[in-house]
Amino acid sequence: MIEAQQLRKVFRDKKRGEVRAVDGVSFYCKPGQIYGLLGANGAGKTTTLRMLATILQPTDGTAKVAGHDVVQEPDQVRTKVGFLSTATALYGRLTAREMVEYFGRLNGMENGKLRQRIDEIFTRLEMNEFRDRRCEKLSTGMKQKVSIARTIVHDPPVMIFDEPTVGLDVMTARTIVQFVRECRDRGKTVIFSTHVMSEAEKLCDNIGIIHNGKLLAEGTLAELRGRFGLEDLEDIFVKVVEGTE
Amino acid sequence: MNGRTLAVIYRKELLDTLRDRRTLISSILVPLLLFPLLTLGFGALAIFLAVKVTRDTAPIMILGEKNAPQLVRKLNKERTLEVLVPAPDYAKRINDKTLRAAVEVPENLEERLRTNPEENLQVVVYYFEGELRSQAAVRTIEKVVREYRDEIVESRFHERGLSPDLLKPFVAERKNVASAEKVTGNILGLILPYFIIILCLTGALYPAIDLTAGEKERGTIETILASPISRAELVGGKFLVVLTAALVTTALSILSLAVTVLGGAGLLQQISSKLVVAVSGKAAAAVFFLILPLAFVFSAVLLAVALAARNYREAQTYTMPLMFVVILPAMASFLPGVELNARLALVPILNISLVAKEIFAGNYPWPLIGLIFGSTCVYAVIALFFAYRQFQKEAVLFRT
Repeated sequence: MIEAQQLRKVFRDKKRGEVRAVDGVSFYCKPGQIYGLLGANGAGKTTTLRMLATILQPTDGTAKVAGHDVVQEPDQVRTKVGFLSTATALYGRLTAREMVEYFGRLNGMENGKLRQRIDEIFTRLEMNEFRDRRCEKLSTGMKQKVSIARTIVHDPPVMIFDEPTVGLDVMTARTIVQFVRECRDRGKTVIFSTHVMSEAEKLCDNIGIIHNGKLLAEGTLAELRGRFGLEDLEDIFVKVVEGTE
Repeated sequence: MNGRTLAVIYRKELLDTLRDRRTLISSILVPLLLFPLLTLGFGALAIFLAVKVTRDTAPIMILGEKNAPQLVRKLNKERTLEVLVPAPDYAKRINDKTLRAAVEVPENLEERLRTNPEENLQVVVYYFEGELRSQAAVRTIEKVVREYRDEIVESRFHERGLSPDLLKPFVAERKNVASAEKVTGNILGLILPYFIIILCLTGALYPAIDLTAGEKERGTIETILASPISRAELVGGKFLVVLTAALVTTALSILSLAVTVLGGAGLLQQISSKLVVAVSGKAAAAVFFLILPLAFVFSAVLLAVALAARNYREAQTYTMPLMFVVILPAMASFLPGVELNARLALVPILNISLVAKEIFAGNYPWPLIGLIFGSTCVYAVIALFFAYRQFQKEAVLFRT
């Protein structure tokens, strides 16, 4: 599970002064569910997810991820998390297998178990034909599969996806969406950020609308529809965001 | 910090680095080829110039040829001189470099030498001060004139029934007591420390950039930060790889140097037959040992600086001033008269440059060596801490 408690992140920028990227965000996400963070570019999605993945430290507030506190025990949190974003690239000079192996080892997996796990993942994701090819030589679709394999090699209970489909073609994006769903069906806690309404509609059990670092509205799709009297998520989103301005 | 994790990171980063062509060129190829190419280049140039000098002739004029036929004959015999028909505009021609020098012989020189031995006569040589070829011609002319004068002195002694040995009651002879190793080391010690220090830096440079700014540029920094390793382990693993590169480069350059010097000894002897070449293994080992903590400093500082850059090119811009900061003190070995003392032993880089010069020359000032090793170790710890702090800063890791 993920429980964010009043997460705040303030950046100091030379030109703009203090920037409150995330400003008191709290939410809860259960195992076997997908929580969708919906927001425009710069709304604070990435910063929130980076704090959950302990890549960034919160200025204030904290979060519990799989029972561990992101401020107190960041190292433990990272062993429980699979983090995938468009910014998490692959090491181009490593082969697909070396790449996945490396992250398995970093997660403390033993050789025998790791080999078995890699064989299993590579077969399931149909990656065996390019397992010994360098990542830089792979197609976008193949790269995405390696990234997926990299995120799940240690079988983490919590998955964090930061706009994983941005810039991908339809087919590759579909693989990712399918994979996100699979993670939920396997009982993992999934958090997923996007600015694509249709994706959020299709995937998320719970949706949180984030704008200017603040979580403005939250609920299941049905709840949001009822509360705002609108059918289309895009209309709901615009209404929520415009209400603050 | 977990040793097993550190080893995993080290292995991966090393593999990654070894698959990078830029690193292979700068860390392995350059140090291996630099010294052989430098030596071959200089050797070939020296031989070329030596050959050219013997083949080239300098045009000169003799003003008043008829006054000294013997001297004229001797000058004509000189292979490097070409005697032209005298002309009154000799000074202008020397200025125009169409003439290298002109010899002015006093009126009736040879006759007056015979008839009036007490007379003070003057042979004047006109030349172009500071012009190399003109000065070379002057040296040859002076040599011929001197020999001619010595012959006259000798014949005067003969006429009076005296032995010319009277002029030389004793001779002064030079004898080298330094060993071949010291002689070679003293010469090598002038330039070697500089090259070794610079190569140690360049060996670390590309891996350091590749593992920091390169990681940002390729977008893998977030991937690795999301893995369960600690920042200390990440810095540690990267640092050890950069250090490895620096040390491999240094070791290869010292090795390549030894091979070049020994193998190129024949070539060097063609230039100066007195030079006997030998390199001491002990000196090479001692210098490598002293470079160790310096390689620590370089690796840590380069990592910290390159991490602040957003991409490869920016990192090269950031590390450029560092090159100058290193080059200047590294050149201390070039300067004559800069002697190592306790105070200079605390100046980083400069101290290694100076002590390496001493070591190559066969001197081992142990207390100073200890001081240099110790102080450089302290700098290494500071640099490593600085690098670690850089890896803790979100503003540095995620600079966009």
